[in-house]
Amino acid sequence: MDHFQSKFVEEATELIVDLEQALLNLESNQNDKESIGLVFRVMHTLKGNSSMFGFDKIGEFTHHLETIYDFVRQGKMKLTDEIFNVTLKSVDHLSALLNDINLTDPVNKDNHVSITQQVLNIINLIGHNDLNTSSDFSGNDDDSYGLFEEASTYHIFFKPKENIFSNGTNPLFLIDELHGLGQVKAYPNLSSLPGLQQINISSSYIYWDIFLSTYKNANDISDVFIFVEDDCDLVITKLIEKNLFFNESFFQRIESLLKEKININLIDIQQIVLNTIDNTNDQVVFENVKEEKLLNVNSQTKEIRDIKDSSISSIRVSSFKIDEMMNLVSELVTSQARLSLLVEHYNIPELMAIAENMQKLSRQLRDNAFSISLIPLQSIVTRFQRLVRDLSHELKKDIEFITEGTETELDKTIIENLTDPIMHILRNSLDHGIEDAEVRTKTGKPAKGKIILSAFYSGAYVYIEVKDDGAGINPEIIREKAISKGLIAADASLTQKEIFDLVFQPGFSTAKVVTDVSGRGVGMDVVRRKISDIRGEVEIDSKIGHGTTITIKLPLTLSIIDGLLVLINDTYFILQLAAVKKIYSITHKEVQKAQRNMIILDGESIPFYYLRDEFEMGGTPFDVEQVIVVMYQDSPVGLIIDKVVGEYQAVIKPLGKHYKNQDMISGASILGDGTIALVTDTNKIIKKCSRE
Amino acid sequence: MSKEEKKTLNSYLSFKLGEEIFAANVSKVLNILEMTKITKVPKAPEYMKGVINLRGTVLPVVDTRVKFSMSATEFTTNTCILVLDIDIESDSLHVGALVDAVQEVLEIEPHQILPPPNIGNKFRSEFINGMYKLNEEQFIMLLDMDKVFSVDDLLEIREIAPDVYAENA
Repeated sequence: MDHFQSKFVEEATELIVDLEQALLNLESNQNDKESIGLVFRVMHTLKGNSSMFGFDKIGEFTHHLETIYDFVRQGKMKLTDEIFNVTLKSVDHLSALLNDINLTDPVNKDNHVSITQQVLNIINLIGHNDLNTSSDFSGNDDDSYGLFEEASTYHIFFKPKENIFSNGTNPLFLIDELHGLGQVKAYPNLSSLPGLQQINISSSYIYWDIFLSTYKNANDISDVFIFVEDDCDLVITKLIEKNLFFNESFFQRIESLLKEKININLIDIQQIVLNTIDNTNDQVVFENVKEEKLLNVNSQTKEIRDIKDSSISSIRVSSFKIDEMMNLVSELVTSQARLSLLVEHYNIPELMAIAENMQKLSRQLRDNAFSISLIPLQSIVTRFQRLVRDLSHELKKDIEFITEGTETELDKTIIENLTDPIMHILRNSLDHGIEDAEVRTKTGKPAKGKIILSAFYSGAYVYIEVKDDGAGINPEIIREKAISKGLIAADASLTQKEIFDLVFQPGFSTAKVVTDVSGRGVGMDVVRRKISDIRGEVEIDSKIGHGTTITIKLPLTLSIIDGLLVLINDTYFILQLAAVKKIYSITHKEVQKAQRNMIILDGESIPFYYLRDEFEMGGTPFDVEQVIVVMYQDSPVGLIIDKVVGEYQAVIKPLGKHYKNQDMISGASILGDGTIALVTDTNKIIKKCSRE
Repeated sequence: MSKEEKKTLNSYLSFKLGEEIFAANVSKVLNILEMTKITKVPKAPEYMKGVINLRGTVLPVVDTRVKFSMSATEFTTNTCILVLDIDIESDSLHVGALVDAVQEVLEIEPHQILPPPNIGNKFRSEFINGMYKLNEEQFIMLLDMDKVFSVDDLLEIREIAPDVYAENA
């Protein structure tokens, strides 16, 4: 059972995320029937699942929520801000409940009581209004359904597939559940029950003809079967807008028909209904309603099928398995490098062909395995939308949050570590960036603020931009502040870029007033640190009065890169191939002659760094050396090394905690012959060298 | 072997740094490697000798002598790398430690361990679990490897290094 429960928690977590997303969509588009339907469906599934697995508190709680959205769905209630606030709070509470199912934490317990009360308040409010306008409303699932003659009667043909028991469903419970809707008469049909010899005890052979009279509609009835709809044949037909349970002769006829015939079909039932009911008005109604209903059911199943088709194209795999696979692929790539080395050594043509093929395959496998571990940014966007929504309410600022390119995919480890920094950036934008509506209108901007989150690929990197149209940052204020905090000298001359960069220094916060939201002085430095933990970079650009843009640059992956293997003295280094623009040969004499660290390549003068010296490697320089030209902040920079060995697929392994302050080297890779190559981060090297 | 069992092991591996003999509880020592090629990582602190390939994983190697404020290790045929299993803040990580020579495995009962001396010692006593009298002339220092090789303490050692140098000089 534990296994099922953990499965449930996993699924429920996902459902809660879906729910939050659907709610946010609904809020921005309140009349969208589809969104309302979606919210309701997710709640319903959540309720069903949780009750099924014994999470009664969640079941009960969701039931109340569902009631609200059922009213909304039926148009008995209008969505209000209060409803959204309460529901979103409830969604948060649901996540808390999942982790603390018995409400052991007193905070959760208090929340549970207060939120439940708020939800009930909304229900009660509507309940009373509703009683005045609509007569057939009844707040609870009590037994009063179907007791009156005005109820409708449905025929339900329910035939579970033979394997229905295998997923733990008991069809009798479903029929029991129907009793909650109204009066039920169920006739089991045993005709396909095989002889005792052939019977398989784990199969279901029985099917049912069920008659139900209820105030609920066909949707509610099919909701009962929602978890088994793929595992059974189900036909729901509205027979008549009348409670046939008041007509004893109807059931007598049905029963006698069942005795005569093994299978009764709809036409038989129709006939009986027609014969039993002598009121002509009702007959007319019957025909119309029935056709309409059948159509409805059809269109509904089609819709469901559409959803099914699109969901079948993906499967759920535990992230543990993916990590395991990535490890195996990494080892394969390493072994493959060894094979290539051996082949070179022995020079056997047949072996060479195989090795080449292996190389191609392992490369494809690597790319495939990577794409599996990539997840779209979309998966964390809901949290951002929620944050912007809640904060803009709290700060009383009207803000439009636009996301672009959220289908951009990133390694899941990167995504996991990206949430907090982006949350922080958004908080800053909302709190300090976007001005109050009055200020905005005064300066000629639209009253509604705008924050755009966009993501896109560029080379081997993914860029994520958070752009607001707020007040912007005044470089002079940063400057003054940095001087007063002793971060820079009073007469230091800094470019605008360098000034903005100061924001990322520890202990720097420009907010004049420390607010609840941001501005506690632990901010952007944490953002930078977290992002550099995943080998990313963050930059800030701003224009006073026009807004601020924060750009995060991230590597596509953390574990294997296409690299350029080079040698300095006796140590191998790997440069990211995507960063390399061109490679030139140069004599050591030319390097020595170079002035102000500039060399001329192809008629262009570019700055260079002599890595043997920068890395303090020692040894004697080669006569002819190589200049690797890489791009640094949109301009070319040369890095001089001894020798280029070749292209290399590098599996990056961490250097370990002992080297955590070592940022020029981002990891190490083991070459085919077992020697270690150090994986460099060219941007960090240049940055560090240019400061010295 | 469970953590509890590990703690109660009474076997210690003794090794030499210069003329001084130290010992580490064998539960901390995973492996003894012969000297192999160490890849130096540029711009790292002096006591970080570099990294080696330990059966497909990258193992950082510390020059234990530099760490104890001695001169850097000179490689001889006796030079070894001890692969240690270090616990830092509930994390367990592996680190290689260069030593001049590995001596022997000693069985030392808890009652034979003497408290560390407080004064007149050039090694900080907080890194020492106790002393063991090997023979009439020689004492062995039983090191707390977790403390000696934990990341933060590396920095601390550097801070105290000038004093120790002064003492040696």
